[in-house]
Amino acid sequence: MSSIYYYLAGFLFTLGLLGTIYKKDLISILLCLELMMGGIGLLVILFSRSTGLLDSQLLVFFMIIVSACEVAIGLSLIIALYRKKQTIYTDDIKIITE
Amino acid sequence: MTYDILLTILTVVFALMVVFSKKTVVAAFALLMTLLTIAMIYFQLGTIFLAAIQVLVNAGAIAILFVFVMMLINLEQFQNNRERSKTKLVVTAFTILIILGVFSLIVNNNIEMLSAVNLTDNSMKTLFEKLFTTYYLPFEMATVLLLSALVACIVITGSEKGIKHDQENLNE
Repeated sequence: MSSIYYYLAGFLFTLGLLGTIYKKDLISILLCLELMMGGIGLLVILFSRSTGLLDSQLLVFFMIIVSACEVAIGLSLIIALYRKKQTIYTDDIKIITE
Repeated sequence: MTYDILLTILTVVFALMVVFSKKTVVAAFALLMTLLTIAMIYFQLGTIFLAAIQVLVNAGAIAILFVFVMMLINLEQFQNNRERSKTKLVVTAFTILIILGVFSLIVNNNIEMLSAVNLTDNSMKTLFEKLFTTYYLPFEMATVLLLSALVACIVITGSEKGIKHDQENLNE
């Protein structure tokens, strides 16, 4: 017996992972990363219910803070990259190989 | 029972919209809706504090930040959707697998429906007592992290060269 939400959390994480791998523009990749964070948060909350510990809720609280920082810095990097290269596609960015 | 399945279906539909929608703005709004439905699940599971935080921070701030960045970047020239050819195939196959799995669970009546935990004022009090005693150091570190992220964003995007570049683009 298990809740349907476990499957939902796994679904969200794996869908975000597939999107991160297969998408080509950077904004969509960041959107899919947020989807993955949503799935992980839901899973941690479900574990907190099954163990009865309140600490996991605080873990999710800190996770939300870290993901907010991650998105802010990622988006500012995208803006800096757009100024330099005029593109947001991963194909057009070959700074290391060039 | 019904709420569980309804919320799950809503979340799955919006999450699929994030990956499949051709316009990035639509994807951002679908992400906003996904985060809101996750907040509703938190609320249903009884973690009211996290539901509020999710609505305020994730849905209210992050999703809107995405829309602002799309305004800054000229998205008109990016309307042709360049994706790898296998994207839709792989994601569709995976989605069908997951949906079939969950559907078989529902049909076999093998799913336990979670009810909300009885949250009293006491548990909320315990939560905040833990936050400000046991987890005091991580809390302070989180504030420092937010401050450093703020400074980093200003340094990365607000350089004089970049602003000059934007002004030249505007003049053109």
